[in-house]
Amino acid sequence: MAGPTQPRPANQHLRRNPPIAGEQEAIEKAREGDGRAFETLYAMHKRRVYSLCLRMLGNVAEAEDLTQEAFLQLYRKIGTFRGDSAFSTWLHRLAVNVVLMHLRRKGLPQVSLEETLEPSQDDGPRKDIGARDLTLSGSIDRVTLERAIENLPPGYRLVFVLHDVEGYEHNEIAEMLDCSIGNSKSQLHKARMKLRDLLRTGQRKEQIA
Amino acid sequence: MIVMRAPDKTMTCAEFQETLPELFESQSGLTDHEHLTTCENCAALVRDLEYIASQARLLLPIHDPSPAVWDNIQQALRQEKPGSSASAARK
Repeated sequence: MAGPTQPRPANQHLRRNPPIAGEQEAIEKAREGDGRAFETLYAMHKRRVYSLCLRMLGNVAEAEDLTQEAFLQLYRKIGTFRGDSAFSTWLHRLAVNVVLMHLRRKGLPQVSLEETLEPSQDDGPRKDIGARDLTLSGSIDRVTLERAIENLPPGYRLVFVLHDVEGYEHNEIAEMLDCSIGNSKSQLHKARMKLRDLLRTGQRKEQIA
Repeated sequence: MIVMRAPDKTMTCAEFQETLPELFESQSGLTDHEHLTTCENCAALVRDLEYIASQARLLLPIHDPSPAVWDNIQQALRQEKPGSSASAARK
């Protein structure tokens, strides 16, 4: 059975952060203050950083502002990169932190740590007549899923993007968001349930149309 | 393929779904779960949630920032004080 019950690959970040030709040389030169090398690093990583910001925030203007901020921080901090992890993994984490700092300033969209896993009317299973014929398997394209993720409540979207899209583990997310691992798991589950609801609602509307 | 058996009398749907966040994290907790062999609704739910997670993992970075972002970065870097430059951060 494919999906989250299968072990997540230990090198998930490596899969998403494959070594890039010329990156090491650009890092070395950028550490020395070489502007061209820094521009090369920007060209190599702008898409990844911006996509992360956009998915976490759901807002183009904010995503561009924070992409800018992430690369400015990279410029200031690249001298502290020790190579303990892949550069892209390090930069990615830096970008996540920039987004989280921004969200904290705005009031991080987290739910209470006391929240239970009890299914609510929004999150629980729908047993309405005709629901069984609306299975999602094989029916979601990338654009539809991206749109549904945009429509998730911000707190759910954060955990879903960090875990399911970006491949962070619950212990990493709990540390980033300063919450418990159980809360991260709960948020992720509710995010998937909400996405299912959004996607099925979209399917119903398509059927009616 | 899941073959439906007689209804599971040991666990209700609500009880099963309360355990789902943990079951999803375990490697084998869901595959042979008794409740899924007897409850079509919950089996469909699990299939959908697994499908959503698997599709999310396939989402790759496809969005590019506008050229203005790099222009703004360059402008900000020109205004950076020497003490906050990359070489200073290394010291």
